[in-house]
Amino acid sequence: MPASPEKSSALRMGLLIFLGLAVLTALEFAMAILLAFWQLLLLVSLFKAGLVLYYYMHVSRLFEADQDADHESYAYRLATNRIGLWLFLVSDAFIFGGLLISRINLLGLTRPELNQVLGLSVTSVLLISSFFMNRAETAMAHGDRRQFIRGIGVTLFLGMLFLAGVVGVEWQIAAFGPGDGVAGAIFYAMTGFHAFHVLTGVIFLMVVLRNGLRGRYSVEKHWAVEACAVYWHFVDVVWIFFYPALYLIGTVL
Amino acid sequence: MKKFFALGLVRGLSWEIIGTALGIGFVTLVRLLIGLPAWKAEPAVVFGALLGALFFLVGVGAVDDWFKWAVGRETGEHFDDSHPGWRRYFGASLDHKVIGIQYLVLSLILMSVGGLFALIFRTELAEVQMQFLTLNQYNTLMSLHGMVMIVSILLGIAAYMNYLVPLLIGARDMAFPRLNAFSFWIAVPAGLILLSSLFLGGFDTGWTGYPPLSARAPLGMQMFFLGVSLAGFSSIFGGLNILATVIRLRAPGMTPFKMPIFVWAALATSLISLTATQLIGLSFQMVMLQRLFGMGFFDPAKGGNPVLFQHLFWFYSHPAVYVFVLPGLGLISELLPVFVRKPLFGYRWVAMSSLGIALVGFLVWGHHMFTSGMAEYLRVPFMYSTLLVAVPTGVKFFSWVGTVWRGKITFETPMLFLLASIVVFLLGGLTGPPNATVSTDLHLHDTYYIVGHFHDTMFGGYIFPFFAALYFWFPKMTGKRLNERLGQLQFWLITPSFVVLSLWMMRVGLLGMRRRIADYDAALGFEASHLVMTVAGFLIGLSLIVFFINVWYSLKKGPPAIGNLWNSRSPEWQVASPMPVHNYDQPFEVVGEPYDYGLPGSQYIRFKGEK
Ligand SMILES: [Cu+2]
Repeated sequence: MPASPEKSSALRMGLLIFLGLAVLTALEFAMAILLAFWQLLLLVSLFKAGLVLYYYMHVSRLFEADQDADHESYAYRLATNRIGLWLFLVSDAFIFGGLLISRINLLGLTRPELNQVLGLSVTSVLLISSFFMNRAETAMAHGDRRQFIRGIGVTLFLGMLFLAGVVGVEWQIAAFGPGDGVAGAIFYAMTGFHAFHVLTGVIFLMVVLRNGLRGRYSVEKHWAVEACAVYWHFVDVVWIFFYPALYLIGTVL
Repeated sequence: MKKFFALGLVRGLSWEIIGTALGIGFVTLVRLLIGLPAWKAEPAVVFGALLGALFFLVGVGAVDDWFKWAVGRETGEHFDDSHPGWRRYFGASLDHKVIGIQYLVLSLILMSVGGLFALIFRTELAEVQMQFLTLNQYNTLMSLHGMVMIVSILLGIAAYMNYLVPLLIGARDMAFPRLNAFSFWIAVPAGLILLSSLFLGGFDTGWTGYPPLSARAPLGMQMFFLGVSLAGFSSIFGGLNILATVIRLRAPGMTPFKMPIFVWAALATSLISLTATQLIGLSFQMVMLQRLFGMGFFDPAKGGNPVLFQHLFWFYSHPAVYVFVLPGLGLISELLPVFVRKPLFGYRWVAMSSLGIALVGFLVWGHHMFTSGMAEYLRVPFMYSTLLVAVPTGVKFFSWVGTVWRGKITFETPMLFLLASIVVFLLGGLTGPPNATVSTDLHLHDTYYIVGHFHDTMFGGYIFPFFAALYFWFPKMTGKRLNERLGQLQFWLITPSFVVLSLWMMRVGLLGMRRRIADYDAALGFEASHLVMTVAGFLIGLSLIVFFINVWYSLKKGPPAIGNLWNSRSPEWQVASPMPVHNYDQPFEVVGEPYDYGLPGSQYIRFKGEK
């Protein structure tokens, strides 16, 4: 099937945003080593989050809500579902905001000693997974089922890789346990709450993959795919803030 | 017997027992396998209770449709109710009216339980020294009274928001009926887990659960934290549903400033419960983790900070009091024009004041921490932000006075409760600023004065409007009117005794009676006052019994509700009672202002096909 111009341009945009995010992450890492300015790191994080929110999560779709008179139509319900999902994300963001505030209150400009290579690796894994998630959603919206399935499969694999990296490796090699001082408590709480969200996202991806393989989604009706993508990107946005908060800010304790 | 087990509630409870046992067994097995001493009560019971709650939700059928969606199956339309009659109230229904009544009943049950706890420890307080309770029992009952009542209030406002919001805006149902059922049913295991703390050693922290005390309280503490966390999800998802419903499902022509005031109040409330609730959940879960895994968030020995808990906790728990009272204040504004036959005074200002209270409410939490060792420079901004709340609240009072002014007032039971709400909430409002002002709060903090002030705001902002609304809409819900004489009897029992109770609380508080303590020195001379408060408390209990008798009697023998009982302009009263299953057979359109009572020729709504 020849790719339509809209589809190619949407895919190109996804790639461009991904490259931008990758460069910013590298910049963040370099900045943390060269100059210890948390303000700059915060700015970069906000910018990254903005890119994901706008280009990957399509926040602007909320404001083109369908004003159809028929409240039972698929289009009208779709717009309502979007609002529901975003309200849930706003609510969820308060948990992560609370964790960040606790981290700042308890640790200030110090951080636990962690493996930097591993941190950068899991961050990259999650970022690449977001790129494939975006590809999968774009493919579905343009009716390319094979690319959609491939994208979901890769995202799923990378999601599990991230979990293995954080829970399977980082938690095992860390020099401290959850009960060792307040830095350990904060580290395990933040990565734990986030990993739990990644896990639910992985389950969501499995459901979408299974139903996708059975051909349940169409160009017009694929709300589950969109919801899964938005949720997955949200989990990525949380990590955009958690990564510098845990690995980059301030000096090692 | 078979029919009995077909009830969703019964199935849910059986599943919960199985889930709890499995959870306890699982933790014990894992501990055995990794070489720890097999039995440790705390992790086993916590995990068991959590798994039990999840099993309950599966057993009751609250997540059936989501499983079907996950495996790619279609589900039926949301108003297909398989159980007819009363049975549908005992299983997972997706109808917002059924869910509203389920919330209402559960709320009344918890209100009775919480009230009973209060009467027990109130009796203990009537005389100095301990008579029939141990100190641990006293502390547990006192703490549980607070939290059981809070959960009861959250369920009570959810009851009215669920039942009324779709009717008032002309929607067929809530935006997400399955999430709605989930929100209700998770409150059932939450309530059970919360109450189970009574039998698991109790706890002694009061409803606030401050560490470090809560980090070493008995096992009951964990059940308290877990129960409240689960009840929080009920509130969060309930708020989400209301917001989406109001944003998306309004009748044609219902622009924001033509929405009923109660809908504005529900909107403001839901904004708070959607967002802030997560932080009380987080703070409680952090203490749970500290107890389970030794994570030292609030443990100074590990570098933790107990004051951080108070920040997280009050960031929710102050706005939470607006969650409790905003719907009630909305109900006052909603119903007052009906009984004075005049337009609501300053409609737009009242609508905005609800949002104003909700938003300012996010910036005031520090007033609970003036004496807790919080940074000193924070006291002044928190003092002024708190005092600022008086402005939008004052707008509401001004509107009520303006509405009642020179109206043709009739004094049916709902109206009596409305007037009592205003008076009692005024008492609560005026006694607030001394607690917000740092200099006076240093003396008043942790005394019975706070208890009196708080109960005034809860009765004025919740209990009295709750009963006003119940007397008003009971005919709509059931098709039967409540007995007017018993209603008046209830009113005249509860109102004076409550006013006496709260004034005496404040009196002993000013004189130095500390809150939460089980016993006090006879030399303080408070014994007579405590006896007065205890008697008043029992009279309030008696008024509730009168109310329950009224409900039982009216359901059996009450006159049927026919037509527009209260001569209201609101759409739900233009159709039959009880409300038809699909709500409105004909959709309506909004063509005028909602509260133009007494203006000849004005019209609020027009049904399709009507001239
Ligand atoms: Cu407060």
